[in-house]
Amino acid sequence: MIRLDGVSHAYGDDPVVEDVSLSVEPGEVVAVIGPSGVGKTTLLRLLALSVRPTAGTVTLDGRDAWALDDDERLAVRRRVGMVFQDASLFDATVERNVEYGLRIRRPWAERVRDQVRSVLGDDTIPEAVEEALDVVGLADALDQDARSLSGGEAQRVSFARALAYDPAYLLLDEPTSDLDPRNTGLIEAAVREARDRGIGVVVATHDMHQAERVADRVGVLLGDGFTEVGPAETVFETPADERTREFISGELVY
Amino acid sequence: MPIQRRDLLATLGAGAAAGLAGCVGLGGGREERPGVVGETLTLTTTTSTYDTGLLGEIHPDFEAMYGVTVDAVARGTGAALESARNGDSDVVMVHARGLEDEFMRDGYGVNRRDLMFNDFVIVGPAGDPAGIEGTDSATAALNAVADAEAPFVSRGDNSGTHAEELTLWEAAGTDPDGDWYRETGSGMGEALNIADQQGAYTLSDRGTFISQRSEVDLAVLVQGPIEGGPETLANPYGIMAVDPGVHENVDYDLAMAYIGWITSPETQEAISNYRVDGEQLFFPEAVSEDPDFQQYVPRGWSGNSTGE
Amino acid sequence: MSVLLDAAVQAGPAVRSVPALVDFPFAEGYVTSVIAVSLYVSVAAVALSTLFGVPVAIAMGFADFLGKRFVKSVINTGMGFPSVVVGLLVLFAVSNRGPLGPLDLVFTREAMIVSQFVLATPPVTAISLAAITGVDDAVGDAARALGGTRVDTALVVIKEARYGIATAVLAGFGRAISEVGSVLIVGGNIVGSDGVSKTRTLTTAIQLEARQGRYGTAMALGAVLVTLVLLVNAVVVRLGDTGAVNR
Repeated sequence: MIRLDGVSHAYGDDPVVEDVSLSVEPGEVVAVIGPSGVGKTTLLRLLALSVRPTAGTVTLDGRDAWALDDDERLAVRRRVGMVFQDASLFDATVERNVEYGLRIRRPWAERVRDQVRSVLGDDTIPEAVEEALDVVGLADALDQDARSLSGGEAQRVSFARALAYDPAYLLLDEPTSDLDPRNTGLIEAAVREARDRGIGVVVATHDMHQAERVADRVGVLLGDGFTEVGPAETVFETPADERTREFISGELVY
Repeated sequence: MPIQRRDLLATLGAGAAAGLAGCVGLGGGREERPGVVGETLTLTTTTSTYDTGLLGEIHPDFEAMYGVTVDAVARGTGAALESARNGDSDVVMVHARGLEDEFMRDGYGVNRRDLMFNDFVIVGPAGDPAGIEGTDSATAALNAVADAEAPFVSRGDNSGTHAEELTLWEAAGTDPDGDWYRETGSGMGEALNIADQQGAYTLSDRGTFISQRSEVDLAVLVQGPIEGGPETLANPYGIMAVDPGVHENVDYDLAMAYIGWITSPETQEAISNYRVDGEQLFFPEAVSEDPDFQQYVPRGWSGNSTGE
Repeated sequence: MSVLLDAAVQAGPAVRSVPALVDFPFAEGYVTSVIAVSLYVSVAAVALSTLFGVPVAIAMGFADFLGKRFVKSVINTGMGFPSVVVGLLVLFAVSNRGPLGPLDLVFTREAMIVSQFVLATPPVTAISLAAITGVDDAVGDAARALGGTRVDTALVVIKEARYGIATAVLAGFGRAISEVGSVLIVGGNIVGSDGVSKTRTLTTAIQLEARQGRYGTAMALGAVLVTLVLLVNAVVVRLGDTGAVNR
């Protein structure tokens, strides 16, 4: 379980999220919805251990991540994968991109040896890379140049890249906001596949319909913190909080 | 007079060899092989000397004789002497007696020898707008150029030729100034090209002018002493070793061997035989039955001087 | 280092065919040896500049340290440093009277390498730094989010910047091989009496021809120099292209 307890984060004096709590179990999809600029990205970065909270704790499988030393925190951090709004692929082949997470987890001696081999043209493609690409329907794109892909394909590769090293948790930041319906559907299918593998998924999105389609639970982020967190049906059908209700019915306009 | 000396030289036998040559050249030979084998002699000289190609012609003989290499570095006269002052060369060959004297007085140079000479000529457009052709005085010719405000190209680079030009202007009592006087800061070959393009007069050493005259539309208007012109246009070359008392790293043995070799009758003859376009460029003056003692010391030095 | 020179001399036959097209009034081996010296000095200098400048650029791109702004302004100033001034400074350093005098470097290829190193390092460093800082932050973020350490992140950014770094190295090479001021001063433009260049480069050879008013041969040598620079550029760009896909 990955958990935020009373977490705040501020850039300078300006709090972005304040006193937020959230927990994600393996094998469930949690959608974080809310208008743009409300701190969804910061929330994901906190979960990814990319930024340190100014208050509160981030716990991963029972361990307080920021109480650990650097090496231990790296090990914890490596159990999390992340997909950004823009694919942020490396300037390399699809295969090299997807393999990245696996590669950097290997010891240096092996990495150097593999690098030499790949320069010599002797590449063995790890099974996990092919599997991950298969999940997003791009198994035949292995040798393509990542920069030559369409936006939708790139985002799917980005998803495969985070999936390939079999993370325990997967964080998606507005993964489909720039995509056409077909690619959106493929990503959402991949999210379900990840859940079925027992991965805990967090999707930050401003698209409530997407949240309805993929999420088991939904957190509504308004202002500095969650106004409501609960099972998707409850949040969408019978929200307890007045502002949540207004937001969901479209009355609350930011 | 110089021509006579040249004729005399040709008849001189080997017996009149300069004293330095023999003894110092053998100085390194304590072992079976000469101790200098494999060493490199660094010679700094002036661009106008270097550009005639003389050194490339005569150096193989020296290199074979001693089993050494000569690195000839061409610089303006001032820079050539400065390299020697810093101990970056072993021997220096230039043509600016005033600067050479200063170099010796400052204690950097020893064992100076008169080496050879050629001369300067005043060249200009064939039309000769200032009407100096045939003038037998260099200063009068320059004054005529200045009066006519005819274009004159100056090297302006502190070279030996530039120093000579400034000396001549001073002797003429004229301070060259105005649009017609153009300082280029360039080498002799470039200065000749510029003069050619601008229809200007300039002072050139005869060697560079000969090697380039086919490419420029300039004529010799005032001859130097080699062709019977005024003695003020003489261009004497001297050679000195860098003082090992100041710079202990210099290859003094080899420098003296070089000076001995280049002032030897054989090499002096090779110098007089060197031709560019069928013309002799340099006239040897190291070998003489009646040596000029002033060649060894700064001019005007007498036994009572301190040398400071 | 001298292995490089030997290789360049051995490559002679290939190079020799180039000047054969032009009627050079030089002894055989002269132009080849001048090209060899040019390449040897510039390649060695740029190799050293790269070994020094790229790590400095990386350090500056990824770390904050005291005096970073100062280092940056030194590099930027160095970009515009006149080569003759560098030549003079290096001459003072390697001169018999200078701090490096005992090494006996004056009028040697090694002294020329030193001065070209000084000239090439600022552009190599500055352009590398620009390439590294120009990489989209998202790339580094992605590497980190996928579990990368600081080192992994840096490596990814450097790989992304590789074309820029190659450009930096080429710019350094271009500056080194085309400058005349410093190599003339510290190298002395020496050719042995066997007609083989010791410290004469293409640029100083051109300068020598121009000084004597032989503009025709100067231009021909200039064409050789330009061809050489184009060839090196083409080779590096090609290497960059084939190496790119695999990363």
